[in-house]
Amino acid sequence: MHHEETTYLTKILSMFDAVTQQEHGSILLVFIIGMIFGSIIQYAKVHKFEKIAGFAMLKDTVVPKMLFLAIGLATIGLYFMIEAGYASYHIKPIMLGGLIIGGAIFGASMAIFGKCPGTGPVSVAEGRIDIMVGAFGGILGGLVFTLYYDQFKWIMGESLGKLSLANMFEEYQSIVVLLFGLALVAISILIPLVEEIDEDDRGYDK
Amino acid sequence: MIKKIPWWLGGVLMALLLLFSFSVFGADRPIGASTYVPYFAGIIFDLDPEKYTYLQKIRNPGSWEGVLLLGVLFGAFINAIFITKTFRLTIVPSAWKKYKNNSVASRLIWSFVSGFFLIIGARLAGGCTSGHFLSGMTQTAISSIIFGVVVLISLVVTGKLFYKDNNNAS
Repeated sequence: MHHEETTYLTKILSMFDAVTQQEHGSILLVFIIGMIFGSIIQYAKVHKFEKIAGFAMLKDTVVPKMLFLAIGLATIGLYFMIEAGYASYHIKPIMLGGLIIGGAIFGASMAIFGKCPGTGPVSVAEGRIDIMVGAFGGILGGLVFTLYYDQFKWIMGESLGKLSLANMFEEYQSIVVLLFGLALVAISILIPLVEEIDEDDRGYDK
Repeated sequence: MIKKIPWWLGGVLMALLLLFSFSVFGADRPIGASTYVPYFAGIIFDLDPEKYTYLQKIRNPGSWEGVLLLGVLFGAFINAIFITKTFRLTIVPSAWKKYKNNSVASRLIWSFVSGFFLIIGARLAGGCTSGHFLSGMTQTAISSIIFGVVVLISLVVTGKLFYKDNNNAS
């Protein structure tokens, strides 16, 4: 028993070690990014079951409006930051099997769970027991994926490269990226605002 | 104290946070939020990283997101207790009661199953709402745009089929 406790402690400490060994910010900075990330989600209420499952039922549009606005603005900002040398691309490869099968499974699960992996922890911190149970399911999912990674890799398929609109239209890069960003901002504004309110939050949560 | 912000302010703040995280002044990397799950599974089930190639692959992003997650949990808990006052122990969400059923067992079983497949789906695709949608589409990545389209279709189709349309009831 004592032996197990020390291994857990060592492993958690090695998580912090691994962060200090990367050049992606100090432990404190990453922790603070997490706090702000969670707080924005929490204050905008986009972690609520009513917002995410509500969007799946097309009864609430706060999630797509906020998501598309954030992506649109950040697309434009990131383009200029990369041009100025203050940031770089970290593009994920195109693996069609993984993206299509994984995306379909992810979308269906998100509609039923009413959370995604980034919003779930906010609900856990607010005392939602169903989401804690779902988190155990998620950890089991992570275990199964790790154990059978070689089989899952077969579903994911070969990488077709790390393509992006920016590197596909090199000549018109700035126009394509700016139009993509502006189109997303326009979509976020054009989606009509409808809201599904959690009745339990009425009164003290306004 | 402010307890709620409108969608547009949430969008602007999220864009600024993403840009900060991407920048060399911040973390010089995108925000992701699903790799921490198998990383924690590796810790909890005491898996030997030497034996599992996936654990070696996710050592860096998994640990980074693990610390990010601790920040999310800590910040959201403090907010929920002192500011938004949204901390309460509940099991069945109110919209689940309205559009699905009142059963605690049903909600918990579906939560467990959908939580399981949420992570399987995210890891198959190599990202989630944060890594693909927010961070990937921001870089105009084709992989993330494909993921985004598939997820939106699957989400809305499932929403239509899984819940009952309760316009006049309750």
